[in-house]
Amino acid sequence: MFKKILKAAIAMALVATLGLTGCSNSTPVESKIEAIKKPVVINLEGEDIGYPTPFSHYSRGPGSFKMALIFDSLLERGEKGYIPWLADKWDISTDGLIYTFSLKENVKWQDGTPMTAEDIKFSFDYYTKHPPVSNDLTVDNKSFIQSVEAVDAATVRFKVEKPLSILLGKIGNTRIIPKHIWEKVEDPLKFNTPESAIGTGPFVLKDYNKEQGAYKFEANKDFWGPKPLVDTLQFIPVSDSVLAFDKGEIDLTGNITTDILPKYQNDKEYKVLQNPAFWGYRLIFNMDKRTELKDKDIRQAFAYAIDKNELVEKVARKAAVPGNAGYLPVGHVWFNPNAKNYEYDIEKAKQLLQGKKLSFKLLTSNSNNTSNSNNSNDELRIAELLKISLAKAGIELSINSADTKTRDAAVKKGNYEITLIGHGGWGGDADLLRTAYSQEITSSQSPSTNSIPGYSNDQLNKLFEQQLYEMDAAKRKKIVFKIQELIAEEIPQIPLYNTTGYVVFKPAKFDGWKYMFDHHEVTHNKLSYLDVK
Amino acid sequence: MNKSSSILKKASEYLLTFLVILTLNFFIPRLMPGDPFIFLSSSEGQVTITYSEEQIAKYKAYYGLDKPMIVQYTSYLANLLQGNIGYSIYYNNSVLSVIGKRVIWTVSIVLAAIFISCLIGTVLGSLSAWYRNGTFDKVLYSFIIAISEIPAFLIGIMFLFILAAKLGWFPLSGGIKTFANYSNSVEKITDILHHAFLPVLTLSIVRLGEFYLLSRNSMIAVLTKDYMRTARAKGLHNKRIIFRHALKNALLPIVTRVFLSLGAVFSGAILVENVFNYPGVGRLMREAVMVRDYVLIQGIFLFVAVTVLTMNLLADIIYRRLDPRVN
Repeated sequence: MFKKILKAAIAMALVATLGLTGCSNSTPVESKIEAIKKPVVINLEGEDIGYPTPFSHYSRGPGSFKMALIFDSLLERGEKGYIPWLADKWDISTDGLIYTFSLKENVKWQDGTPMTAEDIKFSFDYYTKHPPVSNDLTVDNKSFIQSVEAVDAATVRFKVEKPLSILLGKIGNTRIIPKHIWEKVEDPLKFNTPESAIGTGPFVLKDYNKEQGAYKFEANKDFWGPKPLVDTLQFIPVSDSVLAFDKGEIDLTGNITTDILPKYQNDKEYKVLQNPAFWGYRLIFNMDKRTELKDKDIRQAFAYAIDKNELVEKVARKAAVPGNAGYLPVGHVWFNPNAKNYEYDIEKAKQLLQGKKLSFKLLTSNSNNTSNSNNSNDELRIAELLKISLAKAGIELSINSADTKTRDAAVKKGNYEITLIGHGGWGGDADLLRTAYSQEITSSQSPSTNSIPGYSNDQLNKLFEQQLYEMDAAKRKKIVFKIQELIAEEIPQIPLYNTTGYVVFKPAKFDGWKYMFDHHEVTHNKLSYLDVK
Repeated sequence: MNKSSSILKKASEYLLTFLVILTLNFFIPRLMPGDPFIFLSSSEGQVTITYSEEQIAKYKAYYGLDKPMIVQYTSYLANLLQGNIGYSIYYNNSVLSVIGKRVIWTVSIVLAAIFISCLIGTVLGSLSAWYRNGTFDKVLYSFIIAISEIPAFLIGIMFLFILAAKLGWFPLSGGIKTFANYSNSVEKITDILHHAFLPVLTLSIVRLGEFYLLSRNSMIAVLTKDYMRTARAKGLHNKRIIFRHALKNALLPIVTRVFLSLGAVFSGAILVENVFNYPGVGRLMREAVMVRDYVLIQGIFLFVAVTVLTMNLLADIIYRRLDPRVN
């Protein structure tokens, strides 16, 4: 009995102390100070994308962007173009064969070791032996770097094989890894101890849970560059992005459909951004399989008979822009607004076909790559609408669908007549036109680089070559504009639409979101989390 | 036939089945179109890195996928004999560790769901049989048939929207709170149970119909037996008749079904884990097939095959124990 009373007394005392401390915490002055000091914790939708090193992240999904939070590169992708990062300044020799970078001073690895030009040289040398998952260091399947030299502790010099216009971004975007850690590593694919995730970047990996797909990054207190705006950045698993956002589990969602958009637009608490149109669907003709498609008139008939606005409206629910026949989407830094545009016109399509009745097989995918996305049937929807509108012009489509991997394999082997494919990267360097349209290239390096089977155009090939070797940006831009006009006229493939999804967040909590000049996702941009103007 | 030869026969049956499964596990993923390294497209708004030919060649050599199929097959078997089930191509980790960390989640929800659905299904089935053709039986029968026809993911999504999102009673996803600091293990266990509740509930509802129908049928068969009349004539209490005399005899097919349904519950778990973003093997299996991670697919199916075969074996043994007529 006595024991019971004692226990009750202790419990009451405890409750009383807790209550008191609770009260003292909630005085207005202190809570204000707390609000100022309160660390910024940002939660985002996450999935497992592998251990965030240049070798262990997965090829699918945003792995390379999470890795980039830890690993810096010589240049960074700003809102307008490349900006100085680990390199303060750079110089390209007049013959375009020597690139010299001066490095920022006092850059330290997250373990405290100073970073030097030796680390830069080591990284590039290491990548020639062991290509990272995202490998920028080749052009047409060949390594373009002849040698890398650490001139002094703060200067690196690259000699390249050929004077190509696209190399600065490629060198600049390559992740730098610490020599003192990686020089002992023989098998980088199997190296994923915490040591492997040491970079010079603004964030440090604190926790990673593969099964849950959860990551916890903390701001690197000794970061050399702009101040991190976020103290803790967490990627957590969610089942439904919008539900999780509404419940406050995550701080930004990108899965907003146009139907629920007004709810957020009309509420001052939220801010809505529309992504640039750098993710898109295109229709590829296989002219080896169906030689009729070598006839430009027939391809143009296709272009006229496809109602791109209808696709935007019905499939993308208006969160997209119609594809540009010149390939580069609106919003691309080198988009040419004067390239030919094919307005929906069945009569014109019929004229071009001259009464021919044609039928083709269209290959699409019917499954989705990711587990969390709910737009799995968009390709099939597009295909069905294409079938209807093309039929009006006299072109009959029969739709074959397969799971994504099966479709991709068939496309790679050229085992299709016409295919529909969706991918990102449309904001990249304009050289993507060459890889997407030129028959010369047999390799593939980005999703947009499976060229069109059976198509070759001498004039285009010449222009592609010219822009590749033109070191003067203004002159190169002119050539790229000409290329867009030519491919719009030739129309060897048809860009259908580029998505411009919406992201929603609460600015009161965090308002740092920015786009990279060539990419459609604010959460992928490491500058979003840093105090950069 | 003597006992030892029958055991030998049984053992060789199992061994043969196992070998066939191993072989199928090896060849089927590799015969599917596509390979682990081709990524041309991505799902909407997502990004994908497409490998260059050179990278693909390097990776293929690294994982030994450039060798002839039969060489790969023999080295797979040789490795398996040494207990090495391989290194996942996509996940960059040993298959054992990738699966190992997930198995516990799936096994827990699957076992819990089987237990709950079997218990509730059997009780309801017995009651239905006792009151057969009455209103209670008719209503219950149609209700259970109806809900067991709804696909697992639909039930899951319904629970997710109502119980988790609208009412906020349960977490939306995952198996455990991410980056939580628990003050004690009770708190941790509570959190895990809290997360597991909806997946288990969904799976249980999906399996309920099976056990209900089985126990109802089996009970009806038993209840019409002569010894039931005797029991009733002795003036025994209903409860005692149902659960002591009838159920005990009706239980045989149910016990067998518990073990045999394991495979089916696993496949149900795939859908449910996807809905709740639950970190189990089911979701892993889906992802592994999607990215054509041959080594991991083999590993997962090996795990499933071993589990199902073990359960069959257990069912065999227990059946013999329970029913003296077998043998």
